[in-house]
Amino acid sequence: MTNDDAGVAPAEEPVAEPAPTRLEEEGEVAADYLEELLDIADLDGDIDIGVEHGRAAVEIVSDEDPGALTRLVGPEGEVLDALQELTRLAVQARTGERSRLMLDVAGHRAAQRRELEAVAAEAISRVTSSGESVSLDAMNPFERKVVHDAVAAAGLVSDSEGVEPNRRVVIRAAS
Amino acid sequence: MLADALEHLVRGIVDNPDDVQVTARPARRGELLELRVNPADLGRVIGRAGRTARALRTVVGSLTTTPVRIDVVDVDRR
Repeated sequence: MTNDDAGVAPAEEPVAEPAPTRLEEEGEVAADYLEELLDIADLDGDIDIGVEHGRAAVEIVSDEDPGALTRLVGPEGEVLDALQELTRLAVQARTGERSRLMLDVAGHRAAQRRELEAVAAEAISRVTSSGESVSLDAMNPFERKVVHDAVAAAGLVSDSEGVEPNRRVVIRAAS
Repeated sequence: MLADALEHLVRGIVDNPDDVQVTARPARRGELLELRVNPADLGRVIGRAGRTARALRTVVGSLTTTPVRIDVVDVDRR
């Protein structure tokens, strides 16, 4: 499984969760790295750090000018993904261990997650009422993870099929 | 600013931050940033299948509206 683009662990491969203190340290290293970038680029923003789902969660936020941060999201979130990748490497360089931290900018991923959950809910109801499996549009690893989680929560079964970038989630009725 | 941003981004991900050097040159359009690192860190800044170099280009490119090119200079091979 090579879906570590967004560093999302496939549902079928549980990963031991690092201790919270280590995740906090990851968040702090990440915050230092990102804060200095904002300074250099003269972008207004603050860094929120926390721990979510067993990972460090770091978000760049701005009360005054959230619009200015959209450049750090980029088309289809490509800048955000690139910045997340670099931030993980920066954490790894300091801690010596691979990081799976999640980066967000101005609530972008959170909004994306809500949209995906709506897509998943609609597909789940189709599978439930018809009993037939449903194949969704191609998605990136982050998007697939959100859908897999929603499907599991609904008590159905899902797999990923195909090869990146055409990998898609298939939802089946629980057998 | 772009050269500083690139230098910062790279210094954070290598083993030898003091060896990171970015030279900005005017290009025909926009700017050319030449990145030099300790040869031991070359793999770090390029990454698997060029992934890290691509991420650096994407992030630095997002900070400007003018075209910017980033060349990773391989000192060993010159």
